[in-house]
Amino acid sequence: MNALARRAAGLLLGTICLPFAAFAAAPQPTHEFTLDNGLKVVVREDHRAPVVVSQVWYKVGSSYETPGQTGLSHALEHMMFKGSEKLGPGEASRILRDLGAEENAFTSDDYTAYYQVLARDRLNVALELEADRMASLRLPPDEFSREIEVIKEERRLRTDDNPGAKAFELFKAMAYPASGYHTPTIGWMADLQRMKVEELRHWYESWYAPNNATLVVVGDVTVDEVRTLAERWFAKIPKRTLPPSKLPLELAEPGLRQLTVHVRTQLPSLIFGFNVPGLATAKNPRDVHALRLISALLDGGYSARMASRLERGEELVAGASSQYNPFTRGDSLFVLSATPNTQKKKTLAEVESGLWKLLDELKTTPPSVEELERVRAQVIAGLVYDRDSISSQATTIGSLETVGLSWKLIDNELDELKNVTPADIQNAARAYFVRERLSVAHVLPEEQAK
Amino acid sequence: MSQQTTRFTLTGLVAATVMALTLVAPAHAAETRPANTLQSLAELEGKAPPSHRTLNIQTWNTREGARVLFVEAHELPMFDLRLTFAAGSSQDGDLPGVAALTNAMLNEGVAGKDVNAIAQGFEGLGADFGNGAYRDMAVASLRSLSVADKREPALKLFAEVVGKPTFPADALARIKNQMLAGFEYQKQNPGKLASLQLFERLYGKHPYGHPSDGTAESIPPITLDQLRAFHAKAYAAGNTVIALVGDLSRKDAEAIAAQVSAALPKGPALAKVAAPAEPQPGPSHIDFPSKQTHLMLAQLGIDRADPDYAALSLGNQILGGGSFGTRLMSEVREKRGLTYGIYSTFVPMQTRGPFMINLQTRAELSEGTLKLVQDLLRDYLKTGPTQQELDDAKRELAGSFPLSNASNASIVGQLGAIGFYHLPLTYLEDYMRQSQELTVEQVRDALNRHLSADKLVIVTAGPKVPQQPLPPPLDKPAEQPLGVPEH
Repeated sequence: MNALARRAAGLLLGTICLPFAAFAAAPQPTHEFTLDNGLKVVVREDHRAPVVVSQVWYKVGSSYETPGQTGLSHALEHMMFKGSEKLGPGEASRILRDLGAEENAFTSDDYTAYYQVLARDRLNVALELEADRMASLRLPPDEFSREIEVIKEERRLRTDDNPGAKAFELFKAMAYPASGYHTPTIGWMADLQRMKVEELRHWYESWYAPNNATLVVVGDVTVDEVRTLAERWFAKIPKRTLPPSKLPLELAEPGLRQLTVHVRTQLPSLIFGFNVPGLATAKNPRDVHALRLISALLDGGYSARMASRLERGEELVAGASSQYNPFTRGDSLFVLSATPNTQKKKTLAEVESGLWKLLDELKTTPPSVEELERVRAQVIAGLVYDRDSISSQATTIGSLETVGLSWKLIDNELDELKNVTPADIQNAARAYFVRERLSVAHVLPEEQAK
Repeated sequence: MSQQTTRFTLTGLVAATVMALTLVAPAHAAETRPANTLQSLAELEGKAPPSHRTLNIQTWNTREGARVLFVEAHELPMFDLRLTFAAGSSQDGDLPGVAALTNAMLNEGVAGKDVNAIAQGFEGLGADFGNGAYRDMAVASLRSLSVADKREPALKLFAEVVGKPTFPADALARIKNQMLAGFEYQKQNPGKLASLQLFERLYGKHPYGHPSDGTAESIPPITLDQLRAFHAKAYAAGNTVIALVGDLSRKDAEAIAAQVSAALPKGPALAKVAAPAEPQPGPSHIDFPSKQTHLMLAQLGIDRADPDYAALSLGNQILGGGSFGTRLMSEVREKRGLTYGIYSTFVPMQTRGPFMINLQTRAELSEGTLKLVQDLLRDYLKTGPTQQELDDAKRELAGSFPLSNASNASIVGQLGAIGFYHLPLTYLEDYMRQSQELTVEQVRDALNRHLSADKLVIVTAGPKVPQQPLPPPLDKPAEQPLGVPEH
């Protein structure tokens, strides 16, 4: 099995195109089924160790929220630990700790997810707990009055006292003029101050239904075991009518937007964001894969263009990065950020033209074969490395399903990227890296405000 | 791109001080627990502890004196190689930052290849090169596909990078500038500033006292010759532990270890750092215009060989070593809403590492919160854990054991720690057994041998604002009557 894998992997970088499964040699068997109440279940077998990860993903997050009610999804996530029919406040966490489980939860623009990593014989407990809080959350008002203070502390720690995060929050609010992606996931402080537990109850009753959730289990299990347990705990939870949810669509070319923000930092920095589609909204998925390759060409490693040219060659920046998340429910943002090399007296204006130079070059000059091969080699290896972590496998499956894409995309990943031609890259750069799609933020130290 | 915000995250502050793996055994603060109605839990009662992956750790020394630890894992066509050198900032001597700078310069040049060629070399093979320097150790790591036409060139390049770096002058100037930018960047982070002052106060002139990255004053004058000299002694084979996990046969592993070891400078292990003197307890404050005040409370803790390690580790898990349900988390966050997270930790190092409690709260409640935390510690040291807390912690530890070696990444980390701290190969099993045998009295006595609420070094960072009294606690949340939920 492994001998074949190695041989096939060796061929792959040449001209022979094999599907991923052929060289990975041992694709984990992955199964999906849906309960009668609409709960979708995806099971991936990984028998390396007698452990399992269970994740429940809800299709709700900050991009679903309306003005005045920002932060609801995240606050509800906190309150999911404060008791349900069978459990008192905090009790689920204590039970899981005693069992040696790792557990937590996370909220984003597009989803709210809960997870446990535990010895395989304990999966039953994790599922009973999740089913109980899916069906019967209590939301005690006195617990909420304490927990909202914790959330405000979280906001102070992560955003208000963190100059970079604070600037990026304001930047996002500008860069997404039309969609719910302008809303910070933790919520604006003014909305946290006036949040009521009744709003959380309404949010919970609206969105926490089995037909709005995906259960992902990865680890030392079989699909039959998981099916039995899922039926046992989740099947009796009734399906509910969900509120309509619309994809977060953006204006195609909202025009150039500029923001100057002074924060408590010593170093200035620059953020660029171009309004671009995600995989769920793109008319042509190839555009999206071209943008993914562009992001890798710019910042896919220490040999990528930002590090080799801006950081080292020109010594224009102390650091720079490119980010593009195509796996969103709606339209996305292609973000570049950089900090000028102040030791070399470089300015924000010089960094800005340095970034434009990289972007304009993508429009005119195709990347070399070697450069594209390097990116592909990293993708190929990354697909193998990702399989070392059951949690990372489950998170990939869960996030894809929750934004309306299929986990099966993982299997096509390599082919999709291989199909992108140098011309596709140039076309995407020309179409999307234009001023009409651009938001720019200058993040400056407070002294310069005066 | 999507901002993720989680209910709770361990801060990197503590983890950054040492790379070694600590078994995480968060525990439970239930004084009395209501009988819950979970059927699944009842069904689990009386069952044996869960099975775990058994590791066959193979070990040998290379001809040049490097210790090798190896675990075969053929399930995935990849391998992890991690070299751990006793080359952290505690070996800086009178050049603070030389260890960090040497480590950061490894992949900047080898014979015939500049930094771009090296980066292209690894990335073109899909290989990940990693490096980092801490207080005790410096690390260089490689993750690669195991297929020969990837593995062999990746290893050849890796061996040159760790063993024969050329330290180009232009790269040194650039890396120094980036480190200086890093120091500027730290100034906006009150938690980082508090942590730096805490180590200075705990350790003074001891080699753990200065920042691992050096300072804005110490970095600029460091010369290429000083880097070369540091590399020659601290990256010597005798000062190195080689950990290997993955899709390799014993024969492959022996060849890899021999190749890497032969590329390193020749030389013995460096002397261990001496034990630190006791610090002066008491508070100090950094005035900082933030919304929150960061609070750090610390004492000198233990070294890795301390016989009390298991008792302190378990005792700490009950106090504040896990996440939810620890005494500190329960009292400070869950009952009073004062903080997003509060953690305590022992960081056992080559010599006595710190014991620390770390939290942040809104500035106007910082004094009351500090006092609350001190009272909680004092009370815990007086009584020790309850029998219920101890039993729960033991159960938790047994339950978490299978998680500790589920991935290649976690195994290679453990092998590195076992090799670096000279722990027996049966260390994990020994630790589990010792922990299960502990009594309440043993845990309490061990805690009191090492900690005293009156000897804390306390560093706070935040604004000076008028103080307010703490809100009253919610009464024991876990004991609230369980009624029918309202909808």
